[in-house]
Amino acid sequence: MNILTIPLRNLRRKLLRTLLMVAVFSIGVASVTALLELSKAVGESLEEKLAAYGANILVAPRAETLSVSYGGMALGDVSVDIRSLAEDTTLAAITGIHHQDRLSAVAPKFALLTRVRDTPVGVIGVDFDQELRIKSYWHAASGELTPGDGQLLAGAEAAARLRLVPGAQVDVSGTPFTVAGVLGPTGSGDDAMLFADLHALQRASGQENRVHFVEVAALCSGCPIDEITEQLAAALPGTDVKAMGQVVKSRMMTVDFVKRLALAVSGVILLTACVMIGLSVFSSVNERKNEIGLLRALGYSKSAIFTLMSLEGISLGLLAAVFGQIAGYFGSFRLMALLDLGTAAPVFLPAQFAAVFAAVALLSALASLPPALSAARIEPSQALVML
Amino acid sequence: MLTADAVVKSYAAKDAAAPVLRGVSLAIEPGQFVCVVGRSGSGKSTLLNILSSLLSPDAGSVRYQGRDLAAMTEAERNRLRATDFSMVFQMHHLLPYLTARENVLTPFLSGLRPVSAARRRRAMECLDRVGLADKAKRLPGALSGGERQRVAIARALVTEPRIVFADEPTGSLDGDTGTHIMRLLTELNAEGLTVVMVTHEPAYAAMASRVITMRDGSILHAA
Repeated sequence: MNILTIPLRNLRRKLLRTLLMVAVFSIGVASVTALLELSKAVGESLEEKLAAYGANILVAPRAETLSVSYGGMALGDVSVDIRSLAEDTTLAAITGIHHQDRLSAVAPKFALLTRVRDTPVGVIGVDFDQELRIKSYWHAASGELTPGDGQLLAGAEAAARLRLVPGAQVDVSGTPFTVAGVLGPTGSGDDAMLFADLHALQRASGQENRVHFVEVAALCSGCPIDEITEQLAAALPGTDVKAMGQVVKSRMMTVDFVKRLALAVSGVILLTACVMIGLSVFSSVNERKNEIGLLRALGYSKSAIFTLMSLEGISLGLLAAVFGQIAGYFGSFRLMALLDLGTAAPVFLPAQFAAVFAAVALLSALASLPPALSAARIEPSQALVML
Repeated sequence: MLTADAVVKSYAAKDAAAPVLRGVSLAIEPGQFVCVVGRSGSGKSTLLNILSSLLSPDAGSVRYQGRDLAAMTEAERNRLRATDFSMVFQMHHLLPYLTARENVLTPFLSGLRPVSAARRRRAMECLDRVGLADKAKRLPGALSGGERQRVAIARALVTEPRIVFADEPTGSLDGDTGTHIMRLLTELNAEGLTVVMVTHEPAYAAMASRVITMRDGSILHAA
């Protein structure tokens, strides 16, 4: 038995009111927890979905006016002059930046123009492992999606126009390549291109260790895209490093909007819950002036009375913090299923649990502050009227 | 031990302050059983509350063991009420959600440190002293009026005070129960406890070692 006995027993005596208060506050905490989980999941889900749309940073040699474009890079009259970058130093510089851990894919490209049955067509040398990370929407309409050395992957439109099927032969700069697969339509510039292994194409063109541009994917909610871009520019002097601003901004805005909305709703709910806790303790103080006067007459100090009344509010808050977080955590599973957030699932983080627990304790203490101060100000002489 | 010197107290009224005590002086020695009697409104309860440090006088002074209560800090007065002084009110004022034993322990529940085993034993001794050891686990609602008042007396005794101030402790009890409470207080006084009691029952006042009669805020007679 100690000072906690009095508020806890009082809460138990008024069980119905206590349960009601805990239920209301728990709903608030549960909403906050569910919204936190939801905002995390929405962020991750958006990241996952948006990542499928490709890279968001382009590293290319500094160039003037070019007319033909692919993948966000202007190729110009590719048969005449395309400036290129050294593959080894460029990739080393990219993967050596401070935020290297935020890079999800680094996909170098080597572009070449060739003719198949007298029709000009672009052949892009890619690192298929990296390429498929940023082009998860690629699928093989026929044949293989990852061609080996000496093989090609044909875009849907290029395959149709050039009548290419798996097994067909294509001559690129005097080197024969076999079509290993045909891509399904993507609705992008990829449809009109042929894709070969980066190093095989470099060898075929006699331009080993050269790349024309590099696509970088740095997709994660809260990624410092601007900083990554700056770091890349600093690491690669003489290149153009462009963040595909609109895409990045819209991604970040969506995630930010969800987070801010969750924060605002949580704030309103918690504020309401705090006001209710405060009112509950105020009501308790008014009902128990007699009791407070008695305790003062028994030698309780003002600070003991303050502690006693605060503990009542804090106890309500802590109970609500536990029940609310459990309800919010499990409720978020159902919520995510309802919102069809794909594979996203709530993750139990002990640190987050502790942080919410501490925050609710603090809020309860703050909410109990005015009534507890009012209780502490009751003088024994005031209570004598009632005693 | 406890002295009042020219104590004056008024309460705010509609037009002007209504005087309740008009220069009351008295001295209470250790071991005395002092009964303050008088009609309603004579100022006896106000005097008791001033002597027990619950109220401050407008003028005059109250000294306990030579120290002016008004000169004490609030913490010192709290400590005084928690150790040397104890109160028994007309109504028992037990906390309804604590058992009899827990109510007796209430003076020790003001800190985070758990109540020691010695204090828990002391609470049981006090309950035993008032004849309620067998009802220690009962809530006040399950006790009779007289039993509740005995628990309140046990609560007053648990801190081993030097003085118990009792404000009409028999006021809400029937005759037999009131007599039982008075007998208990008399026994405690016989064991050395100083008792200062307010009553308007002459029969109970007769059981005290000293009677102070008040009228209109002044001491009419002090025996």
